[in-house]
Amino acid sequence: MRGAISISPSIEYLERAYDDAKYGEFSRHPYMDIIIPSMIDPGMAPPGKHVMSIFVQYAPFELNGGWNDERREAFGDTVVDTLTRFAPNLKDAIIDRLVVTPFDMQEEYGLTQGNIFQGELALHQLFFMRPAYRWADYRTPLKGYYQCGSGTHPGGGITGSSGRLAALNILRDG
Amino acid sequence: MSSAYDTIVIGAGHNGLAAAAQLAKAGQRVLVLEGRDVVGGAADTQEFYPGFKADIGAHRIGRLHPTVTRDLKPLMKRGLEFVDSDPSVFAPTLEGHHLTLWRDPEQTIDSIGQLSKSDAARWNDFSALVAKAAGLLESVYDQAPPRVTSKKIRDSWELLRVAGRLRRFGKREMMEVLRIMPMTAVELLDEWFETDVLKGALGSMGITGMFQGPMAAGTAYMFLHQHVGSNGGPRATRRVRGGMGALSSGLADIVRKRGAEIRTNAWVERILLKEGRAAGAQLVDGTEIEAERVVSNLDPKRTFIDLLDPIALDPNFARAVRNIRFRGAVARVNLALGELPSFACLPGDGPHLRGVICISPSLKYLERAFDHAKYGDFSEEPFLEALIPSLSDPGMAPEGKHAMSILVQYAPYHLREGIWDDAKREALGDKVVETLTQYAPNLESAIIGRQVLTPLDLEAVFGLTEGNIYHGEMTLDQLFFLRPVPGWSRYSTPIPGLFLCGAGTHPGGGVTAAPGCNAARCILAE
Repeated sequence: MRGAISISPSIEYLERAYDDAKYGEFSRHPYMDIIIPSMIDPGMAPPGKHVMSIFVQYAPFELNGGWNDERREAFGDTVVDTLTRFAPNLKDAIIDRLVVTPFDMQEEYGLTQGNIFQGELALHQLFFMRPAYRWADYRTPLKGYYQCGSGTHPGGGITGSSGRLAALNILRDG
Repeated sequence: MSSAYDTIVIGAGHNGLAAAAQLAKAGQRVLVLEGRDVVGGAADTQEFYPGFKADIGAHRIGRLHPTVTRDLKPLMKRGLEFVDSDPSVFAPTLEGHHLTLWRDPEQTIDSIGQLSKSDAARWNDFSALVAKAAGLLESVYDQAPPRVTSKKIRDSWELLRVAGRLRRFGKREMMEVLRIMPMTAVELLDEWFETDVLKGALGSMGITGMFQGPMAAGTAYMFLHQHVGSNGGPRATRRVRGGMGALSSGLADIVRKRGAEIRTNAWVERILLKEGRAAGAQLVDGTEIEAERVVSNLDPKRTFIDLLDPIALDPNFARAVRNIRFRGAVARVNLALGELPSFACLPGDGPHLRGVICISPSLKYLERAFDHAKYGDFSEEPFLEALIPSLSDPGMAPEGKHAMSILVQYAPYHLREGIWDDAKREALGDKVVETLTQYAPNLESAIIGRQVLTPLDLEAVFGLTEGNIYHGEMTLDQLFFLRPVPGWSRYSTPIPGLFLCGAGTHPGGGVTAAPGCNAARCILAE
């Protein structure tokens, strides 16, 4: 309970979860990466209670018909239902919930299309191609204008690498 | 030096014949051993129904290696002929419209323009990019991949020469090609076009022969591979008049004329070793034939796992060979037709029936077709690449009748439920007919006879492991210096005197003779 709880019982489970998203629906049986921070960090919840944070795939940004309040809650229900199959008491233990869709991520955090890496980490968008060929060194076609986010090499995740490398190049430019 | 032969070539597929021709030309005493009663391997034309003939394996040829093109010249004067279809592709839909890709860009643009003005406007730029990328592949297809990790001066020099050739394409263009190569066909095509049937027809070229849907990385590479030799046009639909068998027997003639011997019905059971070196071959009847070296046209799995004593192989190498993915995805259906199919969206006879008839109305259609295969069943609505060779080649069917040859995807070699028995085979045949009849309503009633070859049949007939038409999947991790396995991409093997020359080596599958010619050159350089 103190580490990551992974709901991905098989490769086929993941593949089927993706199948739904390919055609514009959220997964009926999503993959989940779960942590319960309050287990090791009591400040996260009142005594005896807990907070569970769930990373869910797949929820396509381009949902058929678009994201709205109804679809957001339907997605939340799917997550709870799926998890309850693995932990039967879960549903009844819920006091409150917050569902953040890819659309919400775009609106609230400014992540284009809700992409958490600021651009897919695909082979053709990495290294000297990130964010674009010839502009992979944090510089841009505009002098004095730089990039330092996940959209640059080496990409997403809480690493600080993009920021540090950008700063080094900016200092070099003087 | 007591052997009667310098080289034994196992398998008279077109690559084996091409290799044998080059070795014989260099003065070697060559013996080609073929297990079947005909030469050509999967480049094979057969009467599949009384009076009807079809290319039962490969039904199109790719860009032939320049050496073979040169060798074939005298034969071209004596009747060997390649037929380039125009249009190269006709893609019908169920919504009443269709698409035709012609060799003349203006005609293609005209066809696309009836569906989308913006797609039509982008066709020439797209074709230029594809031509550039395919040209880049072509420039590295005619020789062995360079040794990328070697520190020897000779190898570095070769690597530099390859790099130099790539540089000629211009830095920016090269980067663009490098960018698109690992992409998915969907990503590539979505960057350019909006019309479903255009993307569907082009996307099908990215999945041909692959156990992958168009949303899988590397399918853009297969799309480019299919365009090698197309010279800026859409993928060429090129056939051999009289069928593939005419090309195979032409190659066999060259081999014999150069003094080499071809034995059919000579099934090799074992590669003979002497002090760790390949020293000949043993046939199923027990005959042992000695030679200085052995060149295998079979795929790497059959060559190393089936024909060699396991003790002779380094376990790490054997493991790498066992890890090569095959996973055949193709079935072949040949139909004997009493009349031409008439498509609902473009009824009657016309030039559109002369190229590839491509049933792939959208990328989503292809992806859904793959979904079934992914979970071990054949596609509910398969992708079909159909040809009617008898239209331009009357010898393929009785007068007034026609032979249609269809490549079907996806038909997975590994079924989740059941096996490829007669019932399953016929169920697949029915599915193909049912699908095609949706587009051409008279098709079903026009059928006089049919032949269905499942991936299991392709394995049994041609010896293709798991029915893979490329002798191993052509995915990014199994290409160039990684083909057939890392470290052994230059046609030699860990067994001294044993070489590979089939499609399992660089540059892979298709009727190109490139692996055979490249292998012969490496062997002669030793």
